[in-house]
Amino acid sequence: MLKFLKQVGDYTKETVQAAKYIGQGLSVTFDHMRRRPVTVLYPYEKLIPSERFRGRIHFEFDKCIACEVCVRVCPINLPVVDWDYDKTSKKKKLKHYSIDFGVCIFCGNCVEYCPTNCLSMTEEYELATYDRHELNYDNVALGRLPYKVTNDPMVTPLRELGYLPQGIIEPHDLPSAPSGLPRQ
Amino acid sequence: MNSGINLQGSFIDFFQGLGLPYGTVKLLWLPLPMLLLLLGATVGVLVVVWLERKISAAAQQRLGPEYAGPLGVLQPVADGVKLLVKEDIIPANSDPVLFTLGPMIVVIPVFLSYLIVPFGQNLVLTNIGTGVFLWIALSSVAPIGLLMSGYSSNNKYSLLGGLRAAAQSLSYEVPLALAVLAVVMMSNSLSTIDIIEQQSGYGIFGWNIWRQPVGFVIFWIAALAECERLPFDLPEAEEELVAGYQTEYAGMKFALFYLGSYVNLVLSALLVAVLYLGGWDFPIPIDPILQLLGIDSHVPWVQLITASLGITMTLLKAYFLVFLAILIRWTVPRVRIDQLLDLGWKFLLPIALVNLLLTAGLKLAFPVAFGG
Repeated sequence: MLKFLKQVGDYTKETVQAAKYIGQGLSVTFDHMRRRPVTVLYPYEKLIPSERFRGRIHFEFDKCIACEVCVRVCPINLPVVDWDYDKTSKKKKLKHYSIDFGVCIFCGNCVEYCPTNCLSMTEEYELATYDRHELNYDNVALGRLPYKVTNDPMVTPLRELGYLPQGIIEPHDLPSAPSGLPRQ
Repeated sequence: MNSGINLQGSFIDFFQGLGLPYGTVKLLWLPLPMLLLLLGATVGVLVVVWLERKISAAAQQRLGPEYAGPLGVLQPVADGVKLLVKEDIIPANSDPVLFTLGPMIVVIPVFLSYLIVPFGQNLVLTNIGTGVFLWIALSSVAPIGLLMSGYSSNNKYSLLGGLRAAAQSLSYEVPLALAVLAVVMMSNSLSTIDIIEQQSGYGIFGWNIWRQPVGFVIFWIAALAECERLPFDLPEAEEELVAGYQTEYAGMKFALFYLGSYVNLVLSALLVAVLYLGGWDFPIPIDPILQLLGIDSHVPWVQLITASLGITMTLLKAYFLVFLAILIRWTVPRVRIDQLLDLGWKFLLPIALVNLLLTAGLKLAFPVAFGG
């Protein structure tokens, strides 16, 4: 008889504990409702990419020496370097340079190994087109300056977590002067 | 029970006054409650789907639908239209009759159960004497539909999902019925109107939740299991059984399942409000206030105000329960099938029986408080 009562007692205690756990969980979930949503309302608000963001590659035609290191170092040998050896000036002459961003994996090897720093990575990631052949950028397209989120009047730029002041984890509702440096 | 606005009587009198025979007038009247039921249930579902998405988003610190209509209120309409225009697929080697009938059998009893839900003393579609029992009987028809859908899909995961769904539905019907039985024992009547009448008069302190706290919890858990809401959504657990018995369904048939699950949720919330939270009863008793102010409660404009108050209160209580269901969805992890069946048979059933015994004992000991 006593054993049965003890069992009932244990059972009740376990039930009460389970109810307490569920209650604690419900209070956490309920607490989340009073916080501001962290949604970035793309395309009306966009995050400012960080300085090391690996976006579209930028190419300076005049700095290139047609050494083809970028091609050798690329995992898929992607950049197409069209050069001729000019007998009169005893130099390589670059005719055309193109990278197909439909195939590029944006790893940044070519940027890292370029000896003249003519290749760099920009913050541009919105490369969508209706035809994949439009993604094959020639040296003119590669030389264009990237689209800056801060220059677009239709967009509210938001800073990423690394650039927010100490203690703040939410980019909305901040004063609009940018800090520029990552937080210490 | 005061005789308030009798719409059917007024309708019949009006048309008989125009010269139409009684039979024709009755025939003209019949579609109107049916249409009201369908319309009411559908609008309720649209609202609840929007609520679910917005409240789930708030609990997860995001925004939810924003662009389909102001504040995203047309999002469920967009969902519905999408499902309507999708292609209706019947898998090869499946049984087409069972495949088509399955969703219908799951959904129709739920819509039918709205007949007994009262929004006011005279604001109920039918005041059947067997009110709540009709709902319990109708909810027992659903497992047949689930088995049909699971079996006829010609898909082993759907079959397993259908079996699990039927097992879940059956296991939680018993505690549900026992919890309702305790309330019915206190109210001495199965009719929903009588159950609410018995709770009203004392404001918030007269509601059944104070006299049946354990019953409320049992009923709520069993109702969540019947609606297949988390933590009991094993039959349509996305990670486990693809979508269980709903896997092979697309377009309008899936829309029926989707609709049916939300209609069931609204129905359960309304029934909890009716059985335990006093239905249309205002937390502060109205009749003493009216008597104090010297206003006669049979005057039409007063009746209008009390009726609106009753409808608002019912909807608020149902909303609170729906909110609780959605919050629970994002708080609690899913239960396994064996844990689910254990909970139904080994936990809720004994406690429901003890609750019933206790209520019976208290009814005999204190007839004034527990419904003599």
